[in-house]
Amino acid sequence: MRKHKADYFIGLVTLTLMAVGLVVIFAIGPQRANFLNSALGVEKYSDNYFFIHQLISVGLSIIAFFIATKLPVKFLHKYAKWIMLVALILNAALAGLALMKSSLAICQLGGCRWIGTAGFSFQPAEFLKVALVIYLADLMARRKEEGELESFWGFWWPYILVSGLSLFFVVIFQKDLGTGLTIVAIILATLFMSGVRLRYFVAAVGILGFLGVMSIVISPHRMERLSTFKGGGDSDSSYHIDNALLAIGTGGLFGVGVGNSVQATGYLPESINDSVFAVMGETFGFFGLCLLILAFTFLLMRLLKMIPFLDAEKGIMVAGVFGWVMAQVVVNVAAMTGLIPLTGITLPLLSYGGTSMMFVAFALGLASQCSSYTERIVR
Amino acid sequence: MKRVKFLRLCLVLAVAVILTKLFQIQILEHDFYVAKAEAEHTSLYDIVAKRGEIYMLDGEEPVPVVLNTTVFSVIVDPQTVSREAVSELLSKIEKSRWAVSSVDEIFEDESRRYLVIAKNIPRADYLKIAEEVPGGAYVKSSNQRVYAEGDLAASTLGFVNADGVGQYGVEGALNKELAGKNGMLKTITDVNKVALSIGDDNIRIPAEDGKNIVLTVDRNIQKKVEDVLSQHMKDLGISHGSAMVYDPNSGKVMAMVSFPSYSPANYGAVEDASVYVNDVLETPYEPGSICKGFTMASAINEGKMTPETTYYNEGTTMVDGWPIDNAQKEKQLGEITMRTALQWSLNTGSVQALRLLGGSTTEITQRGKELLYDYYYNHYGLGQPTGIELYENTGTVVPPDSEYAYNSTYANMTFGQGLNVTMVQVASGWSSLINGGYYYQPTVIAGYIDKNGNFKKAEKKEPVRTTVTPETSATMRGMLHDTRWWMGDPEEYYFGGKTGTAQAIRDGAYVMDEFVSGYIGFGGASQDHPEYVIIVKMWEKGRTTSSEEEVRPVFEDLKMWMIDYLRIKPNKGGAE
Repeated sequence: MRKHKADYFIGLVTLTLMAVGLVVIFAIGPQRANFLNSALGVEKYSDNYFFIHQLISVGLSIIAFFIATKLPVKFLHKYAKWIMLVALILNAALAGLALMKSSLAICQLGGCRWIGTAGFSFQPAEFLKVALVIYLADLMARRKEEGELESFWGFWWPYILVSGLSLFFVVIFQKDLGTGLTIVAIILATLFMSGVRLRYFVAAVGILGFLGVMSIVISPHRMERLSTFKGGGDSDSSYHIDNALLAIGTGGLFGVGVGNSVQATGYLPESINDSVFAVMGETFGFFGLCLLILAFTFLLMRLLKMIPFLDAEKGIMVAGVFGWVMAQVVVNVAAMTGLIPLTGITLPLLSYGGTSMMFVAFALGLASQCSSYTERIVR
Repeated sequence: MKRVKFLRLCLVLAVAVILTKLFQIQILEHDFYVAKAEAEHTSLYDIVAKRGEIYMLDGEEPVPVVLNTTVFSVIVDPQTVSREAVSELLSKIEKSRWAVSSVDEIFEDESRRYLVIAKNIPRADYLKIAEEVPGGAYVKSSNQRVYAEGDLAASTLGFVNADGVGQYGVEGALNKELAGKNGMLKTITDVNKVALSIGDDNIRIPAEDGKNIVLTVDRNIQKKVEDVLSQHMKDLGISHGSAMVYDPNSGKVMAMVSFPSYSPANYGAVEDASVYVNDVLETPYEPGSICKGFTMASAINEGKMTPETTYYNEGTTMVDGWPIDNAQKEKQLGEITMRTALQWSLNTGSVQALRLLGGSTTEITQRGKELLYDYYYNHYGLGQPTGIELYENTGTVVPPDSEYAYNSTYANMTFGQGLNVTMVQVASGWSSLINGGYYYQPTVIAGYIDKNGNFKKAEKKEPVRTTVTPETSATMRGMLHDTRWWMGDPEEYYFGGKTGTAQAIRDGAYVMDEFVSGYIGFGGASQDHPEYVIIVKMWEKGRTTSSEEEVRPVFEDLKMWMIDYLRIKPNKGGAE
């Protein structure tokens, strides 16, 4: 396939969303800094602390996006297994460090999600998502080519093993249901697009659904969140949802304007991370949120649109990216608006946090590269 | 491809659900969330008004005697702060005298929260530890009164209690003026209740600070009177004494003392709350023979007698079949003048004056009682509030139409028994006898210090009424001067005065072993113009006191000091 011009909408929307995120962090960063300083009794956070860090993240993410657009697909094809292996080893290493109670494993509320020190930290689960997209697309494309797509040892065994290990590390060790859901979205979206018969896909959905219910039932933390959602439950998560709704509801049609968010002054937990959507609701109102959601929808539509014109590997890969981004957006927004129980998950490209943004940008960069390999130019 | 279409459908459905939900929250329920946000984000704060300061005079200049300062308390929450941190903080505070509890006390019961570990820390000491206060410990600032002159004039000044409300004295009676009016701040705050400038619904009503009051009390006179009185009381072993220095020509109180006293800054450390009471204003008593001046002035003013009017003194006189004796029964027997009767403080003389007032030489008449009551109550203001700005007692004078208005009651009243009045009533009424007959309302307020620090003097008060004619008043000055004929007062000044002793009442009856003794006197350069009046009273439970031997010396110690302090020039030719 001859390479042609990429779908520049993907890069454009990605950049736009990151820019909007920067504006929001610029506006509420000082309030967040002030709140953390007084809550922790430190002077660590300056007014521009979060903005500068976000600016660096955006810079690195743009580089990640660019690298992904230039990375030879042959290279990915060749090393997919190894990338997957490295990702699993990194997550296994994190689990090991956590078990040894090493200070290199950074833990919060019983979940150990980061490797690193105070100065630099890295979330292996984010790498895992990219690795899954690359590996599964490669695996499925190879087996499809061989006509072995539905063979047990050839396909199902590695598929189940890799998926299972990933979910095991993320959900059990890192206690990160949000990332777990994203991974489920990736493994289902790729499977769906791989062309397996629908009954197998439905069976996979059923099994994963059953495991999901089990993971909630055996975790008191998640049961709490669920009961919060049903009314009642523990005060922390109901406080979080109440204040997210308060922020969004206060915004009205056009919002209170940049820098006027009161909920971001400490009322709303995680105001710059998981709750950034709620702060945007307060700041930009219904009108602003509609534009935001339409921007994400447009981006996701562009991804879907190219899939029929791609070869198997690239199509499955883009489907994985689609599942990933859509899962994060929908789960985050649905949680913030009270449609589903609270799940800790970032809003792609907008939430504060470097690792998450870089890998989403990288994934979208891959999709952007794929868009230049369509059979015909898709517009 | 069907599957891509399916994914697209999923996406569109999800977006539709989300946008519908957003429409519901942001448009339909917008008002609900705005109201909820207002309730959660808005805080009301009092803007605390600054309590007014209290000044005394130093000559003509106001000097502050009661000021404000900010003090700090340190509060810890044992549930969030470690024992080590508290221990370290306390070790820094303990070097001062502000710590109020120990680490062991604080962690004795860890279910308790927010315990005060140090209080009343002055700003300078607080700044030394401010940096060391760990998380979980809080600092609270509060206003505290500073009494610059220590215990001086405590019973006049009063104090401010822990709730910031003035009690007793000026602090209590003028609390409303001193306190001012708190303002209000309605503002949006962050989660830690720190005010934000977001939004335009913030309301700010500034506080009206309390007034800075300048008292008529002169710091130096007050100090001198306290020193002299306390020295005398100490020497005599008497625990209750009170005194007032009064300007007879304006009604201004120049000094007011009530012992036993207390320390306003440490008002809690008293054994008996009665020390808070200002005896001069609040404790009615029987002034004894001081009242003879009132009786005789009334009869003279009515033209019923002169100082030279005579009567036959037998040392005792019968009223309603009861004998009324002179204190010195054998003195001045025979035909004597009223001037002599006052000089020797003879009860028979004042009773005779009451008879004369009623138009008789032998009987106390109803007309005499009515006139005496009219003078005592309506003219001199005995038994009714003077209108001074502070708390005062009313006292009682039995009206002539009362069923208790026996002739003997009124006979007793002529020499100051059988009635209850306050020292300020006596001093203000008595001042009118010697100042030309003008009754001034007593006052302790000289003016106010405005925001710019300028002394705004209170308007000079005109006399509220005349009590006796200027001639009667001149006569009274002479008679009261003559009571001091044997004192050897300096010729170039003019003094006068009267003693007064009343038996204490125990279980409704007069007793012989406990007296309330007093002296009232005036001083000035010439006979025409007395410059000050001093009234002194002493009392000790279960002990007789002597107005002549024990109380009058207080006046003697003060009379020339006052002349000097007020820079009264001597009259050249000597008195008269």
